[in-house]
Amino acid sequence: MRTALVLLLLVALAAVAGSLVPQVGVADARIAATFRDHPLRARIFDQLGLFDVYGSWWFTVLYVLLLVSLGACLLPRTRAFVRNLRTKPVPARELDGMRHYAELTVPVGPDHAILGARRVLRRRLFRVNGPNGRPAIAADKGLARELGSLLFHWSFFLLLIGIVWGKGTGFTGRAVIVEGQRWVETHANYDGTLREGRFFGEDHTGAQVLVRDFQVTYRPTGQPEDFVTRATISRADGSEARDVAIRVNEPAEFDGVRYYQFGYGWAPVVQARGGGKLIASEPIVCTQDPSPEGVSPLQLPWNCVLKLPSLDPQVGVTFELWPDSRGLVSLLQTGTAMPMFGEYAPVMSYTVYEGDLRSELVQQAGVLDTTAMREVDRGVIGAGDTVSIAEGVSMTFSDLRRYTVLEVARDRGLWIVFAAAILVLAGLLPALYTSRRKLWVTAEADGGGAVLKVGGFALQRRQQFEEEFSKLVTRLERASREGERVDA
Amino acid sequence: MSAASWARISTDAFTVAFFALLAGMLAAFYHLAFRRRTVWAVSVALAIAGDAALLVSLVARGAAAGRIPLGNMYEYSIALAFLVVLAYLVFVEGVARVHTLGGFVLGFAVLTMAVAALFLDVGPGPLVPALNSYWRQIHVTSMIVSSSLLSLGCVLTILYLIKDRRERREAMPAIAGGSVDVDPRSEDLPHDLVAASDEPEARVVRRRGLLPSAATLDRLAYRMIAFAFPIWTFGIITGAMWAERAWGRYWGWDPKETWSFVTWVVFAGYLHARATSGWRGRRAAVIALVGFASLLITYYAVNLWIVGLHSYAGV
Repeated sequence: MRTALVLLLLVALAAVAGSLVPQVGVADARIAATFRDHPLRARIFDQLGLFDVYGSWWFTVLYVLLLVSLGACLLPRTRAFVRNLRTKPVPARELDGMRHYAELTVPVGPDHAILGARRVLRRRLFRVNGPNGRPAIAADKGLARELGSLLFHWSFFLLLIGIVWGKGTGFTGRAVIVEGQRWVETHANYDGTLREGRFFGEDHTGAQVLVRDFQVTYRPTGQPEDFVTRATISRADGSEARDVAIRVNEPAEFDGVRYYQFGYGWAPVVQARGGGKLIASEPIVCTQDPSPEGVSPLQLPWNCVLKLPSLDPQVGVTFELWPDSRGLVSLLQTGTAMPMFGEYAPVMSYTVYEGDLRSELVQQAGVLDTTAMREVDRGVIGAGDTVSIAEGVSMTFSDLRRYTVLEVARDRGLWIVFAAAILVLAGLLPALYTSRRKLWVTAEADGGGAVLKVGGFALQRRQQFEEEFSKLVTRLERASREGERVDA
Repeated sequence: MSAASWARISTDAFTVAFFALLAGMLAAFYHLAFRRRTVWAVSVALAIAGDAALLVSLVARGAAAGRIPLGNMYEYSIALAFLVVLAYLVFVEGVARVHTLGGFVLGFAVLTMAVAALFLDVGPGPLVPALNSYWRQIHVTSMIVSSSLLSLGCVLTILYLIKDRRERREAMPAIAGGSVDVDPRSEDLPHDLVAASDEPEARVVRRRGLLPSAATLDRLAYRMIAFAFPIWTFGIITGAMWAERAWGRYWGWDPKETWSFVTWVVFAGYLHARATSGWRGRRAAVIALVGFASLLITYYAVNLWIVGLHSYAGV
């Protein structure tokens, strides 16, 4: 048990390291900052796997060792417990040496007295052995303690297994879906946010998620009050279509995959025409920089990028979107932007670049690589406006929509984990609050009656047993008197 | 009544509670030193009054914000102080009838309130959507209840270590004489019996009686922690269930989650140590103190200094 406990403590310490060092997938920006500012420290941390504690090989090793050692100490304990269940309480001599001891003289014979004692103890749920030929019984109580302890530990074992199985066969990822768009649950559509378990079999559901609309409501303070994504989810072939409303704390489930409300933002629809042809018409997903101290995100514009690789030379446009143009106006007039709660005559300021988009390199989404480009134009475009951005190329800001970000996850171990957690609790209570008690009673003939000797002890909660013991002795005395009446 | 006047009632009640508990603490320490029964009665009365004022403050805050007042660190702190004092009144004064520990417990409550007033105070207001769930009441309530019991257990553990050290030092010559068995656990007498034992010399009584016996303190501390541990476990489980609903995973090694797990492991270690011979007493007590340090980190440091999903729980 001690090994398992030490291993558990090591897991906890690893988790502490994970809470202090920025983790992959949680704080990527801070990891990058560490590499920039403290390259040596970053390299050491990286080598030790400290940036991905929970995915590192040594964390897995710890976890497996914990499982093995826990199992290895529970198996013999369980066997011993089953053996203990089968064996009867063992007789003892020299009761007067026990922690609790009492003698009482009763007016019935030893055999009757001992049968009376047996009745009393049985009624109080003691296991009783005897009398076997001579007037003596051995009794014990409180197997629930070990049973509870075993239940607790086995459930904890099950919980650990459930976690591994659920995470191992599952996945999590993020889906960015603009209002009116249909998103399909397959590997390719997660844009690199997908994290798959070790034993994941690439069995994505292929479910279709059509986002009908996304709404966010704010309090006057700018604090969000409610987000809701209304969507229709169906199988790949369109069957089983179901309308759902996904809110924070209210995920939707479809074919074993859950969809949680995670984030949201603005997506302007920009149509670009070149040489008389429509060369771009998709909504562009805009993101926001983290807001500085004291500034609400509602006061900040949104940034996005349009790339037109089919033109020669290639063209890229960066946008700064103000969903409510009064935000931009108030910023220019007073220096402080008014919070933008919703859409109101949206405008975008844009910068046009010409040159090489360097598409052959891996490009970060939403960022324009301008190393091989030069700025050719700047301007402001309002909703519905069309502007010329290059020779023979025009751009129309035709619509502004919202997009929603859904966290998509499958965890088949969920129910095992929660069932095990409840069993952990169920085992914990008897393991902590019951105690193992042992008691012996012998009777010797004494004149017309008998002398009862009662001895016993508790392995836990000794103070409570003191009281229980004296009550038991009183009860034994009374019972033997009742026995006398029966005799008469 | 308007939200503003509720908020004012809450602040006023907080102030009343603070000074009542502070005065109660001073009275309790005076009783500890000079053994005046009337002073003890005054300290308990002040503790009851202060605790009632804390409850008023908490309820008024809930009325001001229009929700259950367990939404941010300031409110947790009020609830924690309230429950610590309540647990002390019920278990230590009521059930165990130990009358010398009030000063330490009230001191802890006063400290918690001072930290809340100085560093954590934010006005009452509504919560962000993720906190808007009935899981919040269940999860936060169980975390606060178990934190208060664990805190009380750790105050008792510190006192146990102090008292145990003194008892050992006093027992030293007796061991040399070979006449006294100094297993502190063998002394199961309630403290009042010890103090009232008919030893003629006042000096001896004073030396023994400033605090309950080490064994009593140890047992009280153990009971508090053993009581709190399943509630802490329950709190973690309900937190996981809520996290699953709100964030799409039941466990994500968020700093708050991590530290609540560390605290759980350390107190699990404490309970195992208590069941292992050779680890009872001082060694187990040290583990409990490590657990308490971890609890403080879980409770304060994670929100104040480490960025995580729980950061928006106000401060």
